[in-house]
Amino acid sequence: MQLNRVVITGVGVVSPFGNGVAALMDGIEKGRSAVKHMEGWDQYTGLRSHVGAPAELIDEKKIPRQKRRSMGRMSIFSAQAAEEALADAGLALSELPPWQTGCIIGSTMGSAKSINDAFEIMLPEKDISRLNSAMFFQCMSHTAAANVAQYLGLNGYIMATAAACASSLQAIGTGYDLIRLGRQDILLCGGAEELHPTVTGSFDVLFATSTGYNHSPEKTPRPFDKDRDGLVCGEGSGILVLEEYKRAVSRKARIYAEITGYSTSGNGSHVSQSNKESMLYCMKKALSEANAAPEDISYINAHATATRQGDQEEAEAIRELFGDSVPVSSLKGYIGHTLGASGATELIASLLMMERGVIYPTLNLDTVSPECEGIGHVTRQTKKEISFILKNCFAFGGVNAALACKKI
Amino acid sequence: MTEQEIIDTINRVFEESFEIEKEKLQPQAHIFTDLGLDSLDIVDLIVALQKSFGVNIRNEESVRNIRTLGDVYQFILDIKNKEPRKS
Repeated sequence: MQLNRVVITGVGVVSPFGNGVAALMDGIEKGRSAVKHMEGWDQYTGLRSHVGAPAELIDEKKIPRQKRRSMGRMSIFSAQAAEEALADAGLALSELPPWQTGCIIGSTMGSAKSINDAFEIMLPEKDISRLNSAMFFQCMSHTAAANVAQYLGLNGYIMATAAACASSLQAIGTGYDLIRLGRQDILLCGGAEELHPTVTGSFDVLFATSTGYNHSPEKTPRPFDKDRDGLVCGEGSGILVLEEYKRAVSRKARIYAEITGYSTSGNGSHVSQSNKESMLYCMKKALSEANAAPEDISYINAHATATRQGDQEEAEAIRELFGDSVPVSSLKGYIGHTLGASGATELIASLLMMERGVIYPTLNLDTVSPECEGIGHVTRQTKKEISFILKNCFAFGGVNAALACKKI
Repeated sequence: MTEQEIIDTINRVFEESFEIEKEKLQPQAHIFTDLGLDSLDIVDLIVALQKSFGVNIRNEESVRNIRTLGDVYQFILDIKNKEPRKS
């Protein structure tokens, strides 16, 4: 069976640096941190991490009320990112082939704020009569995918991949498979997530958050650094337009890259502890599907969230497969860990690096931790022709994903 | 609560919950065709009226007969008129 080729023709982002890919890249290029001290989080007993990378709701009222009412923050972020991605791809809604255009947008869960609000309304008196009609649609696991589809009028595949921090890379990988198989022509793929004290809290109880930089938030997270002390949650959405190659060529679309390899696999060992062997397998599998040798890869965008154990395992896996010859950086120091949005958002930034021929460094990586040495850490902005990207995501729940993209 | 206070409160629900301009809030306005509400909005209208007037109307059969904004005014006025007067 001849499989279709799949290319990326549009990108859109809402990030802690603001709405739009340009804002994201401007923040990264200038080496800024979007991490802030979160006012009011000290009212949560036991929450030790008071830092986050919040995004801002901007112009949300441009979305008509009856489309907006079922959207929590994350769905608004996704709708705006999807609109930007379509415009970037040069695709008008009227041009999208009906039944052959859909969206796959992943997240850890539905809107964290809406879920919290629903429980606050319902639980004190165990009374559901005060819940409004939109609550369910904001809280459900496929809220971003469903809302983007309703907003844009998409009627192809509508799916949500829920795999925490690997959600959006799985969404892109699933979209890649569906277009390869000829089931869809165009898919808007990516992820979304919200910052909320209950979200940071879920990592905090596991001692996975950064707690030592509450009063110097710009210094954390510190991927691969000797003084790293955990992740910092962020929020936003990243959406990519995936398109069947011949279709994209025939309409003379700008092609960012071709997706040539994807792998997702479990670690089969622990719900929260990542392990090197499964990461290694996942990266090797993506490379082999892409018919690429390790030396073909010109840039690795690491998952690296700045947890002690996760960074070490990823560094060891990269060292074993690539040694120190391939440049590696993590973008978490700029925008925190946007969880379900991170894979797509960071892939988009990597595609822009490919377009610009520059690699942006790991922010806050001042001194490489001994256990993370031996890989090609990028610590300052570096000009380099990038022809092949490998993007990693490793999620709680023991879910790994890796995606390879090639310049064509 | 006077009749005018009830009308003002209901109008405020339509302005705040359904983002409808004040000028459109006329008693004869049809809530579906003129004001653009749909079935989900009716759920939210019930929730908002319950909260604003401290009443429980989710199971009121007469909700189904509401067509115009004036019907909403009358519906709440009828309920309030049935309430025992405070001495």
